[in-house]
Amino acid sequence: MRRPIAISLAFLAAVPLLAGVAGLPVHGDPSAPVHTHVSARYIEHGVEEAGASNLVTGVLLNYRGLDAAGEVTVIFTALIAVLAVLTVASTRDADASNHDGRVRRSDADRRHPDHPVSPIVHFVVRLIAPFTALYAAYVILHGHVTPGGGFQGGAILGGLFIALTMVLGKERTRPLVRPVLAPWMQGAAVLTFAAVGAVGALLTGVYLGFPVDPSLRIVRDLMLIALEVGIALGGAAVLAMIFLQMEAS
Amino acid sequence: MSLTFDIFLLLYLIAAALVVARAKDLLAASIVFSSYGLALCLLWQYRGAPDVAMTEAAVGAGITTVLFLVAIGRTTRREK
Repeated sequence: MRRPIAISLAFLAAVPLLAGVAGLPVHGDPSAPVHTHVSARYIEHGVEEAGASNLVTGVLLNYRGLDAAGEVTVIFTALIAVLAVLTVASTRDADASNHDGRVRRSDADRRHPDHPVSPIVHFVVRLIAPFTALYAAYVILHGHVTPGGGFQGGAILGGLFIALTMVLGKERTRPLVRPVLAPWMQGAAVLTFAAVGAVGALLTGVYLGFPVDPSLRIVRDLMLIALEVGIALGGAAVLAMIFLQMEAS
Repeated sequence: MSLTFDIFLLLYLIAAALVVARAKDLLAASIVFSSYGLALCLLWQYRGAPDVAMTEAAVGAGITTVLFLVAIGRTTRREK
């Protein structure tokens, strides 16, 4: 009995959705509503106004800077909440195992990865690691010119950290996330947005405003790069710490 | 040619999504989901959205899969 009901409900939901999709403008149609309002201006003046040859970055960080700041705050609050839950869970596990009187692993055991790593994986990860790091730096610092930016570069950096941790073991990569710096790294993106927003307020009178004057072009570029670096560091740090916490205990 | 490639990718995405939803072996589901991310990344790139494609490749195909694998390693591989 439940199956026919489920099928008919799915069908009922699919009909209006598919009808809506059928009513969408053709992909790439220049007269579609999405192309007739602000995007014409972005495409015509975006490069000179926003200071980013990559229009996606120009819209994301300059025209829609406030939206991006809010988005970054939401994402990083959520990630830090996940991290907090994982940290509480793993400390509780550790406490429980102490009370059980189970033998804790000695420090010598922890110097090696938990599982034996195939020599091929070990070699390949170590071979590509410097190139991955260089690529991540390029994606972050060049994000206002070519596709990419802080989110992408941060994810690549976080992925590199995870790959190195799996191959070399936690003790080799853990010094990269110092406990003193950890809270600042997690908040890097939000803090950078606040700092750059304040600089923008000083220069233009508007929070997160970017100077349009050609003589201040270097300042504007530096503000964009600072935002990208902040997002990337925060993203990479949070991803790496979530991985370390999940692996811990 | 362009439409053929699009349709191929879209059909692959649907097939991969069905496999992920129905698989009882969570390790297999994670790997298929990683390939889903890779196919979606190709589709984004092919449709002229390289910024989204990079995010999809790094997060969707890469880090998400690793976190799934760690979670499976700490729980069980079979869905109950």
